[in-house]
Amino acid sequence: MATTAAPTPATTGHQPEPKKHMNAALISMLLFIGSELMLFASLFTAYFFIRYGVANETWPPLKENGEPFKLPVLLTGVNTLILVASSFTLWWGEKRLAAGDNKGLIRGLWVTILMGGVFLIIQLNEYAHLGFTPQDRAFSGAFYTLTGFHGAHVLVGLIVLSLCLRRAYRHDFSHSYNTPLTAASYYWHFVDIVWVLLFILVYVI
Amino acid sequence: MATHAPAPAHASGGGHGDHEIHQDPRPVSYWWIRAAYGTVGAILFSFLLVFLLRVGFGFEPLWDGEVYATVAGLLGGIGFLWGIGCFDFWLGWAKGDDISQEDHSFHGVTNWKQYFRINTDHKVIGVQYLAMTFFFMLWGGLMALLIRTELAAPGQQIADGQTYNGFLSMHATLMIFVFAVPVFGGLANYVLPIMLGAKDMAFPRLNALSFWFLPVAGFMFLASMFTGMFASAWTAYPPLASQGTTGQTLFALGVQFAGASSIATAINFLATIITMRAPGMTIWRMPILAWATAVTSVLAVFATPFVAGSQFLTLFDRIMGTNFFVPDQGGDVIMYQHIFWFYSHPAVYIMLLPGLGIISEVIATFARKPLFGYRAMAFSLVAIAVLGFGVWAHHMFVSGMASWLRVPMMITTIIIAVPTGVKVWSWLATLWEGKIHMKTPMLWALGFLFTFVMGGLSGVFLGVVPADIQVSDTYFVTAHLHYVLYGGSVYTVFAAVYYWFPKMTGKMYSERLGQWHFWLTFAGTQLTFLPMHWQGLQGMPRRVADYDPRFATVNAIETVGSYMLGVATIIFFYNVIVSWKSGPKAPWNPWRGKTLEWMVSSPPPLFNFDVVPQVVGGPYQYGIPDARHAVVFAPEEFGGELKEDTRYPVLVVANQTLTSQALVDEIRSRDSEGLWSFELVLPLEGGDREVAERRLATALAVLAEYGVSATGRIADGDVVEVATQAAAASHPHELVMATLPLRDSVWMKSDSVDKVRKATGVAMSHVVVPANDARAIGAAGALPLVMVVATDAVGAEALATAVRTRADAEPARFAVISPLDLPEPRWGAEAGELRRQAGEAMTATVNALVNSGVAVEGQVMDDGPADALPLAIKAYGPSRIVIAGVNGEARGLAEAAQAAAGDVPVDTVNLGATAGA
Repeated sequence: MATTAAPTPATTGHQPEPKKHMNAALISMLLFIGSELMLFASLFTAYFFIRYGVANETWPPLKENGEPFKLPVLLTGVNTLILVASSFTLWWGEKRLAAGDNKGLIRGLWVTILMGGVFLIIQLNEYAHLGFTPQDRAFSGAFYTLTGFHGAHVLVGLIVLSLCLRRAYRHDFSHSYNTPLTAASYYWHFVDIVWVLLFILVYVI
Repeated sequence: MATHAPAPAHASGGGHGDHEIHQDPRPVSYWWIRAAYGTVGAILFSFLLVFLLRVGFGFEPLWDGEVYATVAGLLGGIGFLWGIGCFDFWLGWAKGDDISQEDHSFHGVTNWKQYFRINTDHKVIGVQYLAMTFFFMLWGGLMALLIRTELAAPGQQIADGQTYNGFLSMHATLMIFVFAVPVFGGLANYVLPIMLGAKDMAFPRLNALSFWFLPVAGFMFLASMFTGMFASAWTAYPPLASQGTTGQTLFALGVQFAGASSIATAINFLATIITMRAPGMTIWRMPILAWATAVTSVLAVFATPFVAGSQFLTLFDRIMGTNFFVPDQGGDVIMYQHIFWFYSHPAVYIMLLPGLGIISEVIATFARKPLFGYRAMAFSLVAIAVLGFGVWAHHMFVSGMASWLRVPMMITTIIIAVPTGVKVWSWLATLWEGKIHMKTPMLWALGFLFTFVMGGLSGVFLGVVPADIQVSDTYFVTAHLHYVLYGGSVYTVFAAVYYWFPKMTGKMYSERLGQWHFWLTFAGTQLTFLPMHWQGLQGMPRRVADYDPRFATVNAIETVGSYMLGVATIIFFYNVIVSWKSGPKAPWNPWRGKTLEWMVSSPPPLFNFDVVPQVVGGPYQYGIPDARHAVVFAPEEFGGELKEDTRYPVLVVANQTLTSQALVDEIRSRDSEGLWSFELVLPLEGGDREVAERRLATALAVLAEYGVSATGRIADGDVVEVATQAAAASHPHELVMATLPLRDSVWMKSDSVDKVRKATGVAMSHVVVPANDARAIGAAGALPLVMVVATDAVGAEALATAVRTRADAEPARFAVISPLDLPEPRWGAEAGELRRQAGEAMTATVNALVNSGVAVEGQVMDDGPADALPLAIKAYGPSRIVIAGVNGEARGLAEAAQAAAGDVPVDTVNLGATAGA
């Protein structure tokens, strides 16, 4: 049972439409994303316990040396925009594929991957200049765990998109067969949405 | 060990080469050597990597065992998975190798050694899962026995406090993470795709990876024995878990692997259930086990990440110096408990719900009744799962969590008793007035009902906040959890293993050993865990190596009980291994189950079904005539549509009783299930062959009349030999043997029935037919009636011969009518004498015919043909009338019959002058 159906040539109009089956691969990707969301939910739970466990302190909490933790909201906001934009470029690439434009897909994927890479680099740069380490009180541990897990997911997303790019160069995808690409894009959108949540919950409020 | 090559369904038919198995040629040892290299190489590499990084970043000290162990554990596990071959396909695909979706070289096994290498066949993976989880169960059980040995008497027996903590942590961890949770994955892996009418799981390669995660997890737990056993119980609460030995790190890593296995399997199950059901298998026609697996999988997909999260946090605290659980650094230990129990309470249902599905299968099958409240059963599973997400904090009533959480959690906890009660009452209603077969799986199911209800009741006590505060961390909790997890889930596992053992192995287990296993376990369970309720209420704390001497007696009793459980488990393993190796061959459907896995051979063919089956009804319609769950097709070369009844021969062995009503009724009751074809065998040793042929023809005609598809033959020789040969030739699902009672039966006197039972090893039903019933027209009553009209010919051999000839030409029953044209007065002496003579003659004819196997009755009538025949025709409703006349007399009779017969055809046979009486 081929779970990723091979491309079928367009049939003539006389034949009855084959019964539409739900795509096992996409269902599984959605379930996997659900599972991943729950992983982030557990980390957010930890974050909020730590955040509200320090009731008599100010927020953000103070470091060992008495200064408050400061997060670069502006830079990260720009970074957030980059990541969100990369979702749209991916969506644009898929739309181009639907229109039969494989070249458009390749362009979309390239832009998406580059934006994702830029996001990661900015994030690493942020780590380097934050001025606190994971060992610095519970807050910083939660911060690094959340953003670190997210960064790892971005990296996985980039790898998956790169594999899609390789297949796009081989003209593997068409408007009738694009399951791996669609699954990858689901994953990428999930990574974006989690980041937007993370940005709002950790950086902004 | 026996070979269990899952041959294609019709391999014996020849020429069916659809699924040629091209096994990967590399031997098992290749994969294990590669796995050893992979594991060791990855561990060495990770040591080097960590060392270089620490040097590079200037971390002091260079040696930190926890960090090295973490990276080595993680990469070592992945190295093992690579070595054993889990990633070969994907890596090849990523490299651009030519990978075919139809590459089945890792599918199925041809000998038992291949169970030890990577395989993508869901049936093989199911067996691998079961073997692996039961292996860990043995270790966990060993730990339990060590615990009980230490507790056999007050004071120190065999272990100090820390070692004891290690035992109990290891016991719980192995039993939960690598036995109770994944064992259901193994069972469902085997039966679920077949139940749904699918050829395999949705993602066979992911399935293989899910399985191989397990040994990594389990051996990581076991390896901690060499690094200092983790000793903070399976719950691993910080700060205890933050401080423990390196074993604690391995625990946190092992849980990640077990969790990954659980999530991957769950996604696979859901994708399979959603997309791969056979045509006609609507969700309301799915077996309850499919419902249970779906619901469980949803729990596993959405809850397991929480335990992963909790262990990541512990791990980071241990190796990275984060402060998640360090209160004076702003950390929060209660947070761990919330996250942990948000998984681990649903995990309780992950360990239970599939069992509830199994019990539904077993009880319906062995009570021979439709499952009561199918939809309520399905909905209650969903309700338990939904509620299960909202009760986690009932594990934390005394932890110091926010107190406002207590009452809501108490209420949701108690509400769970409602859907659970729906299930229990539905099972009881299924049993109600059922025809209960006390086979081993059913014993386990009934034992489960008993212990599970007891565990459920103590669970309601524990859900109530004041009661829980009183008995928290006492043996009352231990009693409760073992009643629901051991008496609950593990009993269902045993029920399932016995229930599907014939299907999985193609062999029957020993029923006697199975019953011993059950009763010993049942007694052992009560002996071990029942007194713990009292102990707990008296205040004996759990997880402590020593106790107050006043608990000495009760602890000693419990230790004896636990040893009984150990002995029972040994019996179980002996039974499984020996039966698999040399048990009697199992039929396709030993329990006469209705679900699809019983409509394929035992063990099933490589891809389960040659052609996707068509589901036409619900799965539990036991005892409903003509109800069918599914139609199983065969390929074109086997005649296109092949209903499952032609696939299941039932062998019927009988001689004198072949045409008896009792036997035919027995056959018809089986036929109403729509699954069987019948093969009648009439063993003939000496007797009259013609008679036997006539009997067989009659029986076949009767069965054909009822729409039963049957073939028959006469076999010369001793009944035991004949039956054994026939069974060997046609692999019957069941043997039905009919005899006269012991007093009249030659077969019974020579003990042939038992001999056949032993020689064939096939399940047998014995039908006893009283001699008079065997001689009566009996079942032949269903055949068309031929009315033979004769006067002078009655009593003559010629008449009997004529009737026999006709009976041989076309199976029928006969009524011989003799109209007597009596002289007036009919009460006179002359008339009386005539009547007596005619009666004697009639008796002679009827006896002659009955003894030669013809179904016949006779009647002498007191009127001339003109008056008697209309009456007789009305009474008998013949389909044909035969006039058996002697010379001139025939004409008169024929005229009278012609006049009375109406549409009924009339033949005339002239028996010639010599036949006159």
